[in-house]
Amino acid sequence: MTIAETINQEEEISRALVSQFTNLADKIKIQRARRMWAEVTLENFRPTFEYLVNQLGFAAISTITGLDEGENFGIIYHLNRDGAIVFSLKTSVPKTNPKIKTIIQIFPAADIYERELIDLLGIQVEGLPEGRRYPLPDNWPLDQHPLRKDWHPEALSGGGTTNV
Amino acid sequence: MSEPKLPEIGDVQVPVGPQHPALKEPESFLISLRGEKITAVNIKLGYNHRGIEKACEGRNYIQDMYLLERICGICSHAHSTAYVQAVEEIAGLEIPKRAKYIRTLVAELERIHSHLLWLGVAGHEIGFDTLLMYTWRDREIVLDILAQLTGNRVNYGINTIGGVRRDISKEQIDDVLKALTALEERTKYYIQLATHETTVITRLSKVGMLSHDDAVKLGAVGPTARASGIERDVRRDDPYAAYDELEFKVISTNTNDVYGRTVVRVLELMESYKMSRKALKQLPDGPIAVKAPRRIPAGEAVSRYEAPRGEDMHYVKSNGTDHPERVKVRAPTLANLQSVTKMLEDRYLADLPIVIAAIDPCFSCTDRMIKIADQAAGEKTMTWNELHDYSINWYKKRGIAFK
Amino acid sequence: MSLSTKVLTWARTKSPWVLHFNTGACNACDIEIIAALTPRYDIERFGIVLKGSPRHADVLLCSGPVTRQIEDRLKKIYDQMVEPKFVVAVGTCACSGGVFNGCYNVLGGIDTTIPVSAYIPGCPASPKAIIDGVVKLLGSLKE
Repeated sequence: MTIAETINQEEEISRALVSQFTNLADKIKIQRARRMWAEVTLENFRPTFEYLVNQLGFAAISTITGLDEGENFGIIYHLNRDGAIVFSLKTSVPKTNPKIKTIIQIFPAADIYERELIDLLGIQVEGLPEGRRYPLPDNWPLDQHPLRKDWHPEALSGGGTTNV
Repeated sequence: MSEPKLPEIGDVQVPVGPQHPALKEPESFLISLRGEKITAVNIKLGYNHRGIEKACEGRNYIQDMYLLERICGICSHAHSTAYVQAVEEIAGLEIPKRAKYIRTLVAELERIHSHLLWLGVAGHEIGFDTLLMYTWRDREIVLDILAQLTGNRVNYGINTIGGVRRDISKEQIDDVLKALTALEERTKYYIQLATHETTVITRLSKVGMLSHDDAVKLGAVGPTARASGIERDVRRDDPYAAYDELEFKVISTNTNDVYGRTVVRVLELMESYKMSRKALKQLPDGPIAVKAPRRIPAGEAVSRYEAPRGEDMHYVKSNGTDHPERVKVRAPTLANLQSVTKMLEDRYLADLPIVIAAIDPCFSCTDRMIKIADQAAGEKTMTWNELHDYSINWYKKRGIAFK
Repeated sequence: MSLSTKVLTWARTKSPWVLHFNTGACNACDIEIIAALTPRYDIERFGIVLKGSPRHADVLLCSGPVTRQIEDRLKKIYDQMVEPKFVVAVGTCACSGGVFNGCYNVLGGIDTTIPVSAYIPGCPASPKAIIDGVVKLLGSLKE
């Protein structure tokens, strides 16, 4: 498939999304062939996500990336269509209320990515079944979230240096 | 994870990964068995967690390349390349074609060493230690070539941001071609084994079943997915490096079992030999790198790579400094672990070693602990080596063994 | 004396039993240790025998840096070994933590947790270096 053809596909996807969700007008970025990006508010996240998965063929998820963005946590869901086009859909939750619902009803294997958000950033993913934490060891304190920008290894006694 | 309810009594912790008879952790495991079958599997992960993503934020882009290369000693070029591609995309760097080809060559050589390694491990798990010795001897040919091209048998350090660090000479090209010819001959023997040796076929067929639908639902990747009829390969579907200029076949079968995963890998080896030859034949002239800025402009990128085990995904976010804002790595084995749970459901304990081995778990990409919980009829202690022996003896009693 | 003659002399007087333990960093060193057992290097012809249990081992071959999860188990394994016992740190991570030094879940090299008798650097340590290191250790024990 030529690049022009694949860009056409991305543009079609973009148009379909915007016609469904007018708030996305001019908000969808086609960075290059097979790479699409958009950011939505938490309220709009679920409908947009489900539309991408159910209507636009983004039937696989590669992973979920959590980010510490100061007052908020960013959460990016990296979906892909036919193993080819990647759509990274981002939303945010405030640190004062860092809650988001699980997506395991749609992607049963995604709980491992959601547990990373819980362990490393302290995002609360609602609706996950009981399960072991990932990836931190069992004896790691529950209130220490290493990927937060204000967390440093000295917060744990023994081991780790400032030279992170 | 898809577990029914987890029984309280009886836990077994089983390490995962290539295990030479004596190279296992001296750990005790508690197994509660109902007959010889497993009813539930809970995967305990995070054993190998080092804190790499956080460390990336505190180091510069070049240092991070060397760090990420060491996520895994088997697929180090995969992680290095996936990362570097993301950074190059953010920085808007167009790397020279010759560099793309060299990256591709090293990528295929890595796939070759990895699949040969796996073949040996799989052989060991079913009691066919001769196969381990043969394949690892052959693997030395690839390692010699990689050492010649890059300076190291493992952890090649061939990448830089903007291209590659070493060029390839005409003499080296000749050596690679000779090595590929030798390997191709030897691999034909392995294909013969896989398709004609009854014990191999019996031990691997209908074991570790994963239906196409389950593979899709659970997000399986790589040879594990391709053996269940999912014809996906990042090299073809989302091309990177020089793959858009290299014609090749994506190998898939639909036997949905360990046998399929074996056949896929062996045929992928043959494909990799062809691709390596083509890449060398088509190798364009020119520089091997462009200059990269020390500070990467603010932006983000997703980079995907078909590692020997499947899709490796890196996300990088930059903030205009010489340290990344965020690096996220999703290695392929993590995507395949949920499928292992499914494959082991209601299966014989004797099949556990080969089923786990068959997803080619990169234990340093993810973890090595598997918890088996079962209804307790009695309790026993077993080591991994005992489990390995148990598995081989179980099949021996049924007339299936290697001489 | 060539390397192999030295080793064979040693092997005639003592066949060291070796236990391999990896803390599981990237496993490149572990693969090279396994490679040392395969035909090209064939460490077993030197009489070096790989054992499965700490109680039977003279030498502990350790790879990888020490992570928080593995620290206790590493100590336990060392404690289970019977004197005289020796620890070989295989690879740069085992020597000093390597690239992972400073990562929040990594304590450093093997000697942060147990005493080390010999350090074999390399990323990874090649099979030749591993054999050379083990032989040097055994040689020093003769004195």
